Amino acid sequence: MNRTSASLLARDPLRFGLLLAAAMVAAAAGLLLPAALADAVDAAISGGPSLPHVVWLLTVGGTEIAADVVAAILTARVTSSACARLRRRVTRHLCKLGTASPFAPGDAVSRLTTDCAGAGNLAAIVVQLVAAAVISAGAVVLLALLDWRLALVFLGSVPVALLLARSHLRLTAGDVAAYQEVSGELSARLLDAVRGLRTIAASGVAEREARRVLRPLPRLHAAGLGMWRTQSRMVWKAGLLLPAVEIAVLAAAGFGVAAGRLSIGDVLAALGYVVLGMGLVGQVPQLTNLAQARACAARLDAVLGTEPPAAGTAWLPAGPGGLTLRGVAVGAALRDVDLDIAGGSTVAVVGRSGSGKSALAGVLGGLRLPDRGEVLLDGVPVTALRTESLRAAVGYAFERPALLGDSVADAVAYGSWAGSGSVERACRAAAVHDLVVRLPGGYATPLEATPLSGGEAQRLGLARALARNPRVLVLDDATASLDTVTESRVEDAIAHALPGRTRVVVTHRAGTARRADTVVWLSGGTVRAVAPHDVLWSEPGYRAVFTEGAPG
Amino acid sequence: MRLYWKALGEQWRGGLVLLACSVLESAPAFASGRLVERAVSQGFAAGSPGTGLAWLGVFAAVAVLGALGSRLVWHRLGTVVEPLRDVLVGAVVRGVLGDGATPRHAPDASGVARFTQHIEVVRDATAGMLVQARAMVVTTVAALAGLFSVAGALAWYVAVPVLLALAAFGALLPTLAARQRALTLADERVASSAGAVLSGMRDVVACGAEANAVASVDAAIDTQATAAVRMGEATALRTLVVAVGGFVPLLLVLLAAPGMVTAGELTAGAALGALVYLAATLQPALQGLAATTSTVLLRLLVALRRLGESCPPPSRAGGTAEPDGSALSLRGVTFGWGAHAEPVVRDLDLDLEPGDHLAIVGPSGIGKSTLAGLLTGLLEPQRGRVLLGGRPVTGVRPGLRHRLIAFTPQESYLFAGTVRENLALLAPSATDTDLLAAADAVGAGELLDRLGGLYTELGHAAGGLSAGEAQLLSLVRLYASPASVVVLDEATAHLDPAAEARAERAFAARGGVLVVIAHRLSSALRAGRVLVLDGDATLLGGHDELLAASPRYAELMLAWTAGREQAEAVPPLSPLSR
Repeated sequence: MNRTSASLLARDPLRFGLLLAAAMVAAAAGLLLPAALADAVDAAISGGPSLPHVVWLLTVGGTEIAADVVAAILTARVTSSACARLRRRVTRHLCKLGTASPFAPGDAVSRLTTDCAGAGNLAAIVVQLVAAAVISAGAVVLLALLDWRLALVFLGSVPVALLLARSHLRLTAGDVAAYQEVSGELSARLLDAVRGLRTIAASGVAEREARRVLRPLPRLHAAGLGMWRTQSRMVWKAGLLLPAVEIAVLAAAGFGVAAGRLSIGDVLAALGYVVLGMGLVGQVPQLTNLAQARACAARLDAVLGTEPPAAGTAWLPAGPGGLTLRGVAVGAALRDVDLDIAGGSTVAVVGRSGSGKSALAGVLGGLRLPDRGEVLLDGVPVTALRTESLRAAVGYAFERPALLGDSVADAVAYGSWAGSGSVERACRAAAVHDLVVRLPGGYATPLEATPLSGGEAQRLGLARALARNPRVLVLDDATASLDTVTESRVEDAIAHALPGRTRVVVTHRAGTARRADTVVWLSGGTVRAVAPHDVLWSEPGYRAVFTEGAPG
Repeated sequence: MRLYWKALGEQWRGGLVLLACSVLESAPAFASGRLVERAVSQGFAAGSPGTGLAWLGVFAAVAVLGALGSRLVWHRLGTVVEPLRDVLVGAVVRGVLGDGATPRHAPDASGVARFTQHIEVVRDATAGMLVQARAMVVTTVAALAGLFSVAGALAWYVAVPVLLALAAFGALLPTLAARQRALTLADERVASSAGAVLSGMRDVVACGAEANAVASVDAAIDTQATAAVRMGEATALRTLVVAVGGFVPLLLVLLAAPGMVTAGELTAGAALGALVYLAATLQPALQGLAATTSTVLLRLLVALRRLGESCPPPSRAGGTAEPDGSALSLRGVTFGWGAHAEPVVRDLDLDLEPGDHLAIVGPSGIGKSTLAGLLTGLLEPQRGRVLLGGRPVTGVRPGLRHRLIAFTPQESYLFAGTVRENLALLAPSATDTDLLAAADAVGAGELLDRLGGLYTELGHAAGGLSAGEAQLLSLVRLYASPASVVVLDEATAHLDPAAEARAERAFAARGGVLVVIAHRLSSALRAGRVLVLDGDATLLGGHDELLAASPRYAELMLAWTAGREQAEAVPPLSPLSR
């Protein structure tokens, strides 16, 4: 049993024990019920006094119902608290792993949602399976105590009936594939139309375009009909399983009545035991669920077993924000990069796509860890620094920032102690203040009610970096969506708001590179040259960097 | 939601067929108690096992008949469920694309995926209700009918508690549905808050905001756990109600039967039959009904409600006004995105006569596209009026308004279909010659040749075309339209400057009113008049006039020309950017 599964069952022993006890009480009462019923029935049809039997039946039945209800409530509590506990642990661990996490975001989300829910069910599934096994075994034993022949007939008829009613619940692959393909086609058409919604709304062609999107619908209809027909050929036999076993046992019980071994009430009891005995068959899907829950737990183990990178312990001494790279290599993106960036200077990083610009930006503030070599900030290796010290010293803005937090102001202050004053100053510098005050709630507008264009999000991301007042500012293509006029205005505002800070600017624009003190020209993961823009401009290879993919 | 029930109602023929199949399916439930009782009291207990076996044989035959009935149900299911899904898909697509839809709240890829998922849940759950819940209802009714036919004297003892339990269960359903919905929303919130943090991990780390991230996800996790417990409690209550409802009749019959048997009101056989119905058929059917109803029905209700919420109802009937000409005028127009928000435009006056060419310039995100929305009648100003041919533009008969005003945004709309279908979107009656002429005019002739002509099929999401190529095709479409007012909203942003100039000149020569929301300031040089939006003030005038009168405009131009020297030193690009 893996670590997560073990901790799940051991973590909450009291509730788990209570749940198991309630399930066992319900099972025992359920097993006593047919016999109690049989006695009461015998009394009833013989016209004798039935009250004592009915009282006993009431006691047994009432206990079963009460235990069932208690077990249902406990199941919900045990399951939900196990799931929440796992989710909190996994969230913490994934945040500790940070950017070093080997799990892609989609994968991590599915582990946090689906796998935690699946693994959280483990205790409930185990209890349910144990209870079902106890009930089924008990029913066979009680059937045997009633008349051993009945137990034999039951045990003999179950496999035969299972064979008879074996239902291939698998649909033919063709039906499903056809349905999903047409369904996907419809979604793709709708998505096309949604992307062109402004055109559609402005041209008043909504109805025509709706008909165009819906064109594959008749094919979906036909594929759907096919699916139901296929199912109809297969599932109906499953309904025969229980009657087949019931009839076999009834026949055997009938001979018992004829021979005087059994009372008429016993026939009813036998019928009850058959239903209880067959209960395990109904629990077969739970075995799959159990396997799934364990697989979920294993996937969580994989997350929790991944060691987070060790954090440093040093505090950053005061300094100008100078950066030094010594033999830095990052996977295939950077090879043996040596670089000195003087504190307070503005450095542009340019190069074709795939030349390692973002990897270089990432290692400066420890977002990516070099495989070899080291990065020094004011003489201290960044890996030796305390996380909070490093984060306060190096601020990042990205081309496509993920904005987090409840409101626009939250998103700008995210993770920092910036107050409303610094948030507004940062937004003014990033040329986004005018936009924010035009939102329905200004700075308090909820982020999710604010559909932002790429350029708007970019400027809020920039404001977020500025609001932290860092020693080194890394702009990873963070002004790419701004027009050139706004961009140069923003650059001036940053220089004014954060004077003397080191700025590392990844860019595709010649104008931006020209305004920097120095340009680091990357090519194929190595530094091709470090020099001012006007010096490099004479090289055709350097000029070609700016024509790539850039609209004029 | 109402649409669903209406659509379901329209499938009443299919429903009747299902009901007919149900009669067959209910045969075992109706006959079970009676047949078992006969087999025992006339056969085995009477000393003739042969008769007993014969009755059991009949029971087996009836069981097979019932199974065949359920096969028929499955077979006919599609004829009810598939038309229903068709109606829902149609309503969702029309709702998303329809007049009530605003682009600012349009669903994204995951939104479209969610629609598909909700509709599939509705389809599956409806099928589930029709198969399982219907079968359980049929079984319950058949077992009650069988019981009454065997032992009518016991009817009240059985019917009253069962009906009370069903009524109590029905009363519980709204609570169950509300809690299920809360749970679904809480689940979605866990996924969305975790998704935001995990896909933004780079930013979380860069901001040193791990604690904020954990706290936001933790809040969602706790809400979900509470919602799950509350759902579990409601489910337990449901279990209690139904179990009591199935158990009490048994007790009452057992208490009443001896007296009735003694008094001769009931035969022993009838009492046995009644008890078989109660214990072996009615009780399991009730429990099954409660279980399937509360899983399948709740899934159905939640999905329907989510669909209704995320799919805006079609709204806003258009006006009926007939404009006189196609001149546009704005009188004191003010618009902002909220009551407390700073207005995007304030007290704007503007007159555009046919032949006018206006460029709108200003920094990114200042509200240029909002102005386009006002001009085309997609947005209503908070104060002031936008007039088309002397009539308020939003009051003009929609069909006519769309013929008179054509608009193309920065993001191109191209759909899977032939190039021709795409180009003729705004001019359905255009001939091939018209379309080819339009293509030549805006400079897309070469592109059309490269694509292989008008009858080439385009893929989804303009697959295979660059952003610039997609924009060129949108421009052809616009050029070919009959509109006399054309608004280009950064519609040439992905073209290189030369291609942009060619396209803009073509539109200027086309006649009518041309409004260009400029991506580059070069658009201003080509226009007759320039409107500068700059947050605090709007300026309107000719290029030279503005250069002289407005330091702000001069500054913009200066910054731009300085950047342009550098850009022009760059070797020339291919005609279209990739």
